[in-house]
Amino acid sequence: MATTTIAKSIPVPKKRAEGLAVMIRTIINARTPLSIGIFYSVLIALLLAGLYPAISQANIGSYLSSSFISGLIGGHLTNFSGFTVFLGLELYSAFYGLLFGGILAWIGGAALPNAIENGTLDLALSRPIARTRYYLESWLGVLICAAAIGLATVFAVWIDTFIVKNAGINWQWLWITQLVQWAFMFFAAGLGMLFGSFINASRAAGGVTLGIIALGYLMNAFGGLSDQFKWLLNASPFYYAPAIDPLVFHQLTWWHPWVLVIAGLVCGIAGLVIFNKRDLPAV
Amino acid sequence: MTTQEPVIVIDKLQKSYGKVQAVRGISMSVERGEIFGFLGPNGAGKTTTIRCMLDVIRPSAGTIRVLGLDAQRDKMELHKRIGYIPGDVRLPGKMTGKQVINYFSRLQGLEPVLLDDLVARFDVEMKRPIKGYSKGMRQKIGIVLGFMCDPDVLILDEPSSGLDPLLQKVFNEFLLEEQARGKTIFMSSHIMSDVEKVCQRVGVIRQGEIVTVEEVEKLREKAGQRVTVEFGDAVAEEELTRIPGVSMVNKNNNNSSYHFSVSGSMDPLIKALSHHEVMRLQAEEAPLEEVFLKFYEEPEKAPTMAQ
Repeated sequence: MATTTIAKSIPVPKKRAEGLAVMIRTIINARTPLSIGIFYSVLIALLLAGLYPAISQANIGSYLSSSFISGLIGGHLTNFSGFTVFLGLELYSAFYGLLFGGILAWIGGAALPNAIENGTLDLALSRPIARTRYYLESWLGVLICAAAIGLATVFAVWIDTFIVKNAGINWQWLWITQLVQWAFMFFAAGLGMLFGSFINASRAAGGVTLGIIALGYLMNAFGGLSDQFKWLLNASPFYYAPAIDPLVFHQLTWWHPWVLVIAGLVCGIAGLVIFNKRDLPAV
Repeated sequence: MTTQEPVIVIDKLQKSYGKVQAVRGISMSVERGEIFGFLGPNGAGKTTTIRCMLDVIRPSAGTIRVLGLDAQRDKMELHKRIGYIPGDVRLPGKMTGKQVINYFSRLQGLEPVLLDDLVARFDVEMKRPIKGYSKGMRQKIGIVLGFMCDPDVLILDEPSSGLDPLLQKVFNEFLLEEQARGKTIFMSSHIMSDVEKVCQRVGVIRQGEIVTVEEVEKLREKAGQRVTVEFGDAVAEEELTRIPGVSMVNKNNNNSSYHFSVSGSMDPLIKALSHHEVMRLQAEEAPLEEVFLKFYEEPEKAPTMAQ
């Protein structure tokens, strides 16, 4: 073992840039679900391009117009023609929110408990880092994960246009559709941060948030079956992310995505208040 | 703050978890340049007190001031000047030692000026992922994290747990050097021999209450001497127990020798023994550990602060 002694004259420590160290660590901690999200968004989009020539021959119009299928995909498609409709059905339907919103919910829910579990939260907060800053940087890290998944999707759709002849994608409306999905992811991230602010185990917090997203999907699916269940539809976050409408029909109720943004913001701020007030557990 | 003010002042600190009162209105202070030992059995409230000092948990009542700053209200300013080592250093398994140190140095906003010296002194592994580290290796990283930015006050929660005896010795020497550089160190520990070697004063906490705050030297005096006397003539046990300062008298069944403790001056004992034929006399300092352990005992058995 080395037996050097501390030098007698020790310089005063110089200041160093803090950067967004917590945000970067949040993204690194989320690398597995983030990679899964990016991989599947690209894979699904590319598979669609590969399958499109065969699927486009199928006559599934009557199948799509059933209220049950409408419930499952979160929109009414009556006419199955064109690559955009195919994208709306297989990628940007309610499944997008369920799969990628679910991944975001998991990442958001696990962000803070991860730091409790791996022992870094105590050590980080014993340094000149305010809890508010720690929380906001974590939240920002989760939102960057959302941005990465969405950009990967759009990139994969762009690749599709080289594979599918005459894809006929209206890029303006595709970006609007993606913004609607980002609004849904923003909600999922905020919800995750809320649960992560008071649940100490990352799997529990991520799992609970993911469960709520799945419950919302079921409410959306069954809410469309009859007028009797319309309240279920209105209570589901999926109702406010109608991606098929903007992508296929080029129409959007503008305030619907804002409901998700505001709900995500309220959840996130509630989580911040809880995180600031609570006693943090020992490892 | 003025130079006369204590560096750490804990005043009537209380912390409850629901109906459980973990800390019950404790008060104590630590002077500048002092190494203060904070002792107590498991669950006594040591870590709760330390976590209140760091504002990781919030006191139910009472205040903590460190370097003249309120531990809650002025925590940002305060945390620039303190170093902390948790009792069980747990870190992300996939990060290397170097990445961990870089991360926390960035959060501190300061260059780790003592890094190279600490790494050399404690032989810290920097390149491998943490998941391959033993508890002792993680604890060494914890020591680096606590000291690397050269803070004014160190708050250490059982800092040498998991270190081998050789490293414990190196760590104790390091603490004394830091003290010589004017650092104030507040440390909880279970290793009483270490506390005895480095601390000037100790506070003992039991069931959330301070049992005593005492200078180690005074505790050593209280601990007294362990004496063994072998007599050549018959001596009654009662005669020994009557001698001032003598307690815990035990007779060896095989011969006429007695073991007992003597606190304070040995003079009354020597004078009393002069009336008898003494074949053998052996006296040694009682280990301080025994005194600490007495404080750890149940309230009805343990000595009070006045005693």
